[in-house]
Order: sequence, then structure tokens, then C-alpha cells
Amino acid sequence: MSYSGGGTMTPSQDSEGAPARYKDGEDAALAAGGDIRAFARLYGSHSGRIFNLARRMTTSEAAVDITQDIFLRAWEKLGTFRGESAFGTWLHRLAVNVILARRATLRTERSRVTDEEGILDVLPGRPGGSDLGMDFERAVEHLPDGAKTVFVLYDVEGYRHEEIAQLTGVAVGTSKAQLFRARRLLREALNR
Amino acid sequence: MMCPHMDAQLNEYVDGTLAARDRASVEAHLAECAGCRAAVAELRSLAAAAATLPKSIEPGRDLWAAIETRIRQRAPRNVQRVWWFGALAAAAVLVLAFGIYRLTARPPDRRMGEGWVAVQADFDRATDELGVILAAERGRLRPETVAVLEHNLAIIDAAIGESRAALARDPANAELRRLFAAASRQKVELLQWVTRVAAS
Repeated sequence: MSYSGGGTMTPSQDSEGAPARYKDGEDAALAAGGDIRAFARLYGSHSGRIFNLARRMTTSEAAVDITQDIFLRAWEKLGTFRGESAFGTWLHRLAVNVILARRATLRTERSRVTDEEGILDVLPGRPGGSDLGMDFERAVEHLPDGAKTVFVLYDVEGYRHEEIAQLTGVAVGTSKAQLFRARRLLREALNR
Repeated sequence: MMCPHMDAQLNEYVDGTLAARDRASVEAHLAECAGCRAAVAELRSLAAAAATLPKSIEPGRDLWAAIETRIRQRAPRNVQRVWWFGALAAAAVLVLAFGIYRLTARPPDRRMGEGWVAVQADFDRATDELGVILAAERGRLRPETVAVLEHNLAIIDAAIGESRAALARDPANAELRRLFAAASRQKVELLQWVTRVAAS
């Protein structure tokens, strides 16, 4: 279930498969040498996935700034990309690190405390026939930070618990506990 | 209502991460517990909903222009680095040039051995300094560039090693001194070029 493709997983790029990955690798090498146009192409291929990840793990408002920070960090760190994994995978991991660091700052700035389970009360009751997709997105958005991180990385992005533990600095058991907590909260919210 | 003590097991059951024995135990429980069966159905529905969430959503506005501006604003740092590395490389070349001048311009005398030792030390110091710069910036080079660089450095180092060994035996030999000087210049020029490329 390990996340493996980064930007290559978007529908428009699936058909390109391996060539898209090689193109990314070539652009990454050019960008590492200072070629901004090559980096612009990488941005074009991956911005949607990175913005979506940032939006889901923080807020839509914060995601705009965070996405810019992620690509700036990627530009600075391109020299460390060795091509051992797909560029999309490398970028995604870098994005998770930037998002987690930024979210720690955001947490101290926010007045609301999101680590309380009652936060799902912000969701309106779902009358029969309403859009489950929208409710689901909103419910995920309002999960407590720890539970949301693991839920997004495991259930949405396909990371394994071992990878999440490494990225977030928690034990594998804690990652599992946060996932189960997230699912319980989501079930409660969506069943109201 | 799900049995509270089954929470972790049901989640792992749905994830398919339970060992065969534990899976059989959960399935036996599910056969008798309607609440846990309903919970499993909900967990599966949740996993399906998560899988259908969009993986890619473009930002509401184009962020590239702002990113490019910020990258270009940071460029002066690169320029600074280029200048700094250039200065270091130039200093290394000066040290080397002076040493080579001493070695090739002075007529052979009994103190030539001492001069040769000093030039060797200067050359080692100069190439070490450039080597440190190169090591720090190596990650910015493309793998193909590194491969070609290492190949050429190996050839030059072999020439330097041979002329150095010959000079140790015959320190007054002017041709050997010129050979050593030419190989040394080549090495410094190559290191200079590569540090410039890495820093740009």
C-alpha cells in the first residue's frame, strides 16, 4: 500500500506511466543545475497533488502559502534528489515534512483547539440524500490534527504505518491508534 | 453497536493486516455479533470513500509566478556563493602558480630539493581546498557530470603522481618540472570549472 507514484498517479498522467517519470527525472536534473523552466514543468505536473495534500492536512487558506513553501524547499533541496525513487515520491515526502513543521506553527496561532473529539460537532447533521463526498471532506478537515495526519497519509495517500511513523516521529502503535481514532470519529460524524 | 474491545482488531481486519489465526478469530466473532458486522461494513464504506477522494486539486490561483519570484529573489545568495567559491579557487590557483614559478624559474641549485617540498605542500593545500568545495557542492552536479569529472581527475592524478615520483628521483630535471606544472594546472582548472558549475 506504499505510496509510490506522486504526480504520476493523477488520471491525466496515468496513461503516460513510466515516460512521465523519466521526464520528471530529467527535469529534476536540469532544475538541480539551475534551470527554472524545468522546475516550472515539475511544478505544473505536481502542484495539484501537493496543494491538495496541504489543503487536506491543514486548511484551504494555509495551503496556498504552504504549497509555495514546499516548492521553494524542493528547489533548494533538489541537489539531494538522487533519482532512487520517483520525483513525485521524493516531493511528496518533502511536502509532508514541510506541512507537519508548518502545522506546528499554525497550531500555536489558532485560537480553536482541534485536538478535541467534540470538534466533529461543527458538522451539520446529514439529511438523507445529501452529498456524502462533501460531508466526508468536511469531516476529514475537522479531525484532530494527529488523527487527521495518519488518516490522510494511510487511508487517502496509501502510506504504510512504518512510513508514517518515520515521517511523523511517532511509534507504529501510535500511528495505528490515531488511524482507528480518526475512523471512529468519522463514523460517528457521518452517522449522525 | 460494536464491541469496544474489538476496535483495533476490526480495523486491522478491514486493512488486511491481521495474521491468519487472528483473522479466523475475528471472523468467528463476526459470525455471532451483528454490531461488529455493522462496524466492519462501516469501516469498509469509509475506506471506499477515502479511496475516491480526489488526489489532485489545483490551487484556486496560479502560484507559480510567486514561487518563481521568490526563487529569483534568493538568487543573490547563489551569486554570493559563486563569488566566494571563485575567490577561494582563485586563491588556490595563485598559490599554485607561485609555487610552479619558483619551481620552474629558479636555476637548479642545492636548495632545489627544499623548493620542491614547498611546492608540493602548496599544491596539496590548493587542491585540498578545491576538493572541499567540490565535496560540498557535489550534490548539485548531475550524475553524468560527476562520472566524467572523476574519470578525468583520475587521469590527471595519475600524470601528477608519475611526474611527482620522477621529480623525487631527479629534482633538477626541468622537463619533469614542466610536466608536473602542466598536470597541476589542468587539475586546478578542472576543479575550478566544476566548482563554478556546481555553484551556478
